[in-house]
Amino acid sequence: MRHSFLRASWGVLAAGVLLCAACDFSVTNPGPIEDSQLNTPAAMPGLVNGMSGDLSYALGNFLEDLAVTSGELSHSGNYSVEREYYLGTVTPEDANPDWGDMQRARWVAENGIERMKTVLGDEFNTTPLAIRAYLYAGFANRLLGETSCSAVIDDGPKQSDSVYFQRADSDFTQALQLAQAQGGQDTLASAALAGRASVRAWLGDWTNAAADAQQVPDDFVFNAIFSDNTERENNQVAYETHTRREISVWGTTWATVFGDPRVPWDSVKTSKGAIQTGQDGKTPFFREQKYPDVGAEVPLAKGTEMLLLRAEAALRNNDPTTAMSLINEERATYGLPAESAPDVDSTWTILKYERGAVLWLEGRRFWDLRRWNAEGRDTFLDGRTKCVPISANELAANPNL
Amino acid sequence: MNRAEIRMMRRLVAIALVAFGVPRVVAAQQGTGTISGVITDAASAEPLAGAQVFIASTRQGAMADAQGAYTIADVPAGTVTVRVRMLGYEAIERPITVTAGQETRLDVGLHRTAVTLEAMVVTATGAERTKEIGNSISTLNANEIASASASDPQQILAGRTPGVTVLANSGQPGAGGTIRLRGNNSVSQGNDPIIYIDGVRIFNGHTPTTVGGRQATMPLNDIDPADIDHIEVVKGPAATTLYGTEASGGVIQIFTKHGSDNRPIWSGSIGEGINNMGHVGPSDDPTGLFLNECRGPDLISSDSTRFEDPTCPASGSWLQNGAVQRYSLSVRGGNTTTNYYFSGNYADEAGVIRTGGNKDGGFRGNFSFRPMSGLDFALSSSYTKRKVNWVQDGNNGNGFLLNVSRGPYGNFQGSGCADSTVICVNNAAILTAPSVTNSDHYITGLTVTYNPGEKLNNRLSVGYDYNNALLTTLEPFGFPRADLGQLYWETWNRTLITMDYAGTFKQPFGGSFVSTSSWGGQIFDSRNTASSISASNFSGPGEPTLTSAALRDVTSDVKERVVNAGFFLQQELAWRDRLFVTAGLRVDGNSAFGKSFGLQPYPKLSASYVISDESFWPSSIIETMKLRGAVGESGKAPGAFDAVRTWDPIAAEDGQPAFTPSQLGNPNLGPERTREYEGGFDASALSGRLGVNFTYYKQHTFDALIPMVFPQSQGFLSSQLENVGQIFNNGIELSVDAELVRNPDFDWHARLNYTTINSKAGDLGGQDIVISSVMRTHVTEGYPVPSYFGMKVLNPNAFADPVIDSSAFLGSEYPNKIISPSTSITFLKHFTLDVLGEFQRGGYLLNALGFQNAYKGVWRPCYDVQAKMRAAQAGDASALNDVTALQRMRCTQVSKDHNYDYWVESSDFFRLRNISLTYDLPSHLIGGVRNASLTFAAQNLFTVTDYTGTDPEVNDYRDNSFGRRDYYNFPSYRTFLASLRVTF
Repeated sequence: MRHSFLRASWGVLAAGVLLCAACDFSVTNPGPIEDSQLNTPAAMPGLVNGMSGDLSYALGNFLEDLAVTSGELSHSGNYSVEREYYLGTVTPEDANPDWGDMQRARWVAENGIERMKTVLGDEFNTTPLAIRAYLYAGFANRLLGETSCSAVIDDGPKQSDSVYFQRADSDFTQALQLAQAQGGQDTLASAALAGRASVRAWLGDWTNAAADAQQVPDDFVFNAIFSDNTERENNQVAYETHTRREISVWGTTWATVFGDPRVPWDSVKTSKGAIQTGQDGKTPFFREQKYPDVGAEVPLAKGTEMLLLRAEAALRNNDPTTAMSLINEERATYGLPAESAPDVDSTWTILKYERGAVLWLEGRRFWDLRRWNAEGRDTFLDGRTKCVPISANELAANPNL
Repeated sequence: MNRAEIRMMRRLVAIALVAFGVPRVVAAQQGTGTISGVITDAASAEPLAGAQVFIASTRQGAMADAQGAYTIADVPAGTVTVRVRMLGYEAIERPITVTAGQETRLDVGLHRTAVTLEAMVVTATGAERTKEIGNSISTLNANEIASASASDPQQILAGRTPGVTVLANSGQPGAGGTIRLRGNNSVSQGNDPIIYIDGVRIFNGHTPTTVGGRQATMPLNDIDPADIDHIEVVKGPAATTLYGTEASGGVIQIFTKHGSDNRPIWSGSIGEGINNMGHVGPSDDPTGLFLNECRGPDLISSDSTRFEDPTCPASGSWLQNGAVQRYSLSVRGGNTTTNYYFSGNYADEAGVIRTGGNKDGGFRGNFSFRPMSGLDFALSSSYTKRKVNWVQDGNNGNGFLLNVSRGPYGNFQGSGCADSTVICVNNAAILTAPSVTNSDHYITGLTVTYNPGEKLNNRLSVGYDYNNALLTTLEPFGFPRADLGQLYWETWNRTLITMDYAGTFKQPFGGSFVSTSSWGGQIFDSRNTASSISASNFSGPGEPTLTSAALRDVTSDVKERVVNAGFFLQQELAWRDRLFVTAGLRVDGNSAFGKSFGLQPYPKLSASYVISDESFWPSSIIETMKLRGAVGESGKAPGAFDAVRTWDPIAAEDGQPAFTPSQLGNPNLGPERTREYEGGFDASALSGRLGVNFTYYKQHTFDALIPMVFPQSQGFLSSQLENVGQIFNNGIELSVDAELVRNPDFDWHARLNYTTINSKAGDLGGQDIVISSVMRTHVTEGYPVPSYFGMKVLNPNAFADPVIDSSAFLGSEYPNKIISPSTSITFLKHFTLDVLGEFQRGGYLLNALGFQNAYKGVWRPCYDVQAKMRAAQAGDASALNDVTALQRMRCTQVSKDHNYDYWVESSDFFRLRNISLTYDLPSHLIGGVRNASLTFAAQNLFTVTDYTGTDPEVNDYRDNSFGRRDYYNFPSYRTFLASLRVTF
């Protein structure tokens, strides 16, 4: 009898083993792509599109915070982090998402360029993808430099924020050289020149900055791409002002500016004719109209900015006449009448306003206020956070900090 | 199945067994008799319906009917041993001589006992007697389940078992709750206990959260309480080791009813009632957050801004009494070879807001087939279809409570108000945006048991759990907040295939010893498929489909499969049937482990000693005493691909294909492990009138999978799981049962369950884990898991400026004490009153509704304070003389002082979970019917709490189930139900 017990057990076990042998134990999770699968020429367009996507994502998400901390918009909603930015306080914890997004945009472009060189070999120098990759690396570095207090590169130590501008200078130069060598890449070449002009100015090299800027057509625009195609591609400022009411023009300098095509906004009324309030139920809601939908693109470089950059270079050379001439050339581009200023100081006042209007809601104002504050030309940031600190996550996880 | 089919089935089985090398066993057909009799309560002489009567060493048996009567046919002639068991009673064995061709009568009176050591419980190795098990296993029997008048298993579990925490999460019909056994021991891998239904493991989580409703259904709740025979709760890793990876959160086993060797017995029930919401929000708010009252002079903000809502119902309240209907019908029966249990059920439950509600219905078929002695086939299948209509809720711009409670500051400004000087809102527009979950849940399992004698047992189970859900949230064309409309659409499919084999071999030796060896293995194949699409901008009105939208965005698409396989070995050594020592080892592999990890071993060791069987024991005082102790490990596996560096495909450059970094990857990733020690005793005294179960447990989770943040400058922003953390839990579980009065006319039984759950995070690799910065939810070394941290007013009750600690521990997000008193009183022979209450203490909850509404000036407790603040601003500093420091921070309307942190409140509460009165109709009133009863029940009749939000049990957004917050979530409602149960 015992023998039959054992036979029975072995029989059941054998059945189990047979069942198990027929099983497929492999894990599947289609969707995510293993890192090694990107090491093929066919993956390079997607890799470069990803650089563009991550740059737009970083810029698009940060625009709202940058706008409220720079006085371009008021906080009128419920988001607590945005309220802190609006109040002029930026903590390492609050910096986590935006620092992360910007660093990813930089890392994806810089790391992607190295991968492209390995995968493409000599073909790297002949593909427009390489020009675009350098441009995205340059603009990602510029975004970091214009917003952050310090530079941290690839898990490295804390460095001067100017490191970002130096890297951007190199990236734009590489892009320009490839564009010129390949030929027929005028748009990308102008973008490289405009980008390099700006970062050279921020590095103090106004002469070469102006020289680059002069080569950019007045009507040139190079955009960060946004789209209503997917949520990730959305322009968040448009979402927060046209779907929600989190940020308002009310309470800013621009709420008293009417009819300037560079600063379009309107007010929203309730059924009773009263001004609609923001999401917080209190703040009057004046809606920006620069980005009327979530697919609205955000300029990274513009010919009109280059005119103002050259104007500032002239002003720094105590040449208000040339500066005003360039400012009025910029204003004419938008169909606005010319202005005049009797001296250097009043030209500075006009220039600061013009940069504010031309670059409104493009994520650039914070840097202008910061550098002018450091030079004693502007007081808006007095008593407020002047730059984004290294994020709490970076501080916690980076062994070199 | 007719006789010819049965013969054919027997032949097929016999052929199969020969193929397995099993000798053919011929059933004894010649010389059989019948045993029949009545099983009663020895004290009251009341019949014991449901008592199990069976012949020892065989599978022959029967279940006592409503009159306690049973019949076992085809019993081999000769002397056999009859065993009688019933939960709550001492088991009895009686020898009896059966004469061929005759009926032998055996009537048995069972004695009640609070501790039943002979009761069988099902473990990973098979059925075992309670006395052999060194762990605490709680069992809820059919009577307790029936007295719960519950709509789902979640309600049954609440308050009835020590060590179990149940939080309702929402007052919307159909919403799933949170269930924890001995608290949280994992930061990243979930803490839901694993669930078995009749030996088939089912998905133990929730469906995805609906976009509009912000809640999710729970597949566990698809089991109809009327179908449940009993529930076993196995709480910690010391007991769940052999269940393998993922079992460290405990195991809940539900056993549904089966057929009996009787002629068909029909049972039906009809329940009718209402759902009713009491006062919502702070007690000094006469409008109940403008929900109880949406018309009248109290519709005013703190700064006297008035509003009207012409869409407010004619009753002047948004709340209604929602009709509840529940129906079930079942039939059970069979013969000595086959038996069956069929059931069907339907429930239609309207919510307290007019568009909300839940409908579910389904059927079950349980079949058993015994082609020959020792061989059993059991097939259990069930199907449930559910439709939940959610009211838009929670942190959602279209949320009903969010907008209604904000009064004049909601998102649905409108027209039609009689008074042109007030703000006009049209919140009924929200109810035109449906949010719906449609789900199908199918469970089937086949269990083959082959016991060719008393020594060897084999059990093979194959199960399939299929969950499918479609979740939609529609903002129709013309909806105020999306003029062109928007549709959120998600399909979700979750399946789990189980193959489970266990064998045991029992061998006496040395006169006093019995060795029981067990072995077995399981394979779990888990598949998750989910796709979600957001579609917007419809061409025009009408019911849209995805193709009606001009813009369509596939927001997620998941197809994931993980396989977990393992085997176990266990050896039990018994001495004189009173001392049992068990050692076991579980070895697991999981396809999500990193490459460096192979098989994972989980050991266990337990002992049980029935010391009351010793001659020295004072049995006259304490008749039963079992000491027990156990140590064991279990674990949880990381998710699929957590070990691998990956990139996500995305769209960029206006719809062009692109990649972005996804996950850093960790090739050394392994499971986290929880080791638990537990010890305790089960005692019965005073002739079974007093029972005490006590357990102390201590858990240590090591190699905890902690989501570690890596430098963002490396490009990968998502956290990466690392085996670095430690979590400690300990506590006690005490259950005291007392039979206060026992006689046929008046019977009074009381129980007190007391649970403590002390949780603490240990070494976390030097990191403070931020679960959600907005929700202030952290896992921090030395504090409960998880806890709130943030700014705290150190002088809350002082009439002074606040003194603020900028980084303080604000409280644990889960309770650390649960006290559940319950009582059952039977009087006048036919009436039974059941009452169950529950205290939960030590927990805290973020009242985000108070935070938001106070700032907007629509939080009634702040009206007076804000008036004084305005006076102070106007120059009267003395106005603040009687305003406390905490009130100053909570009621502030100054942006820089406005902070969530001050709204973390104690969520201590007492809730009367259930009260019911049952009248068993006397037999002279129910001619032709076996028995009938009428029950009047009330769930959640009242709650006592100082928490000022909507409900101390709610939680917004079920996908993030680890941290908790109250963000405009509907509170639990009361249910009044009258039900008639009939058996015939």
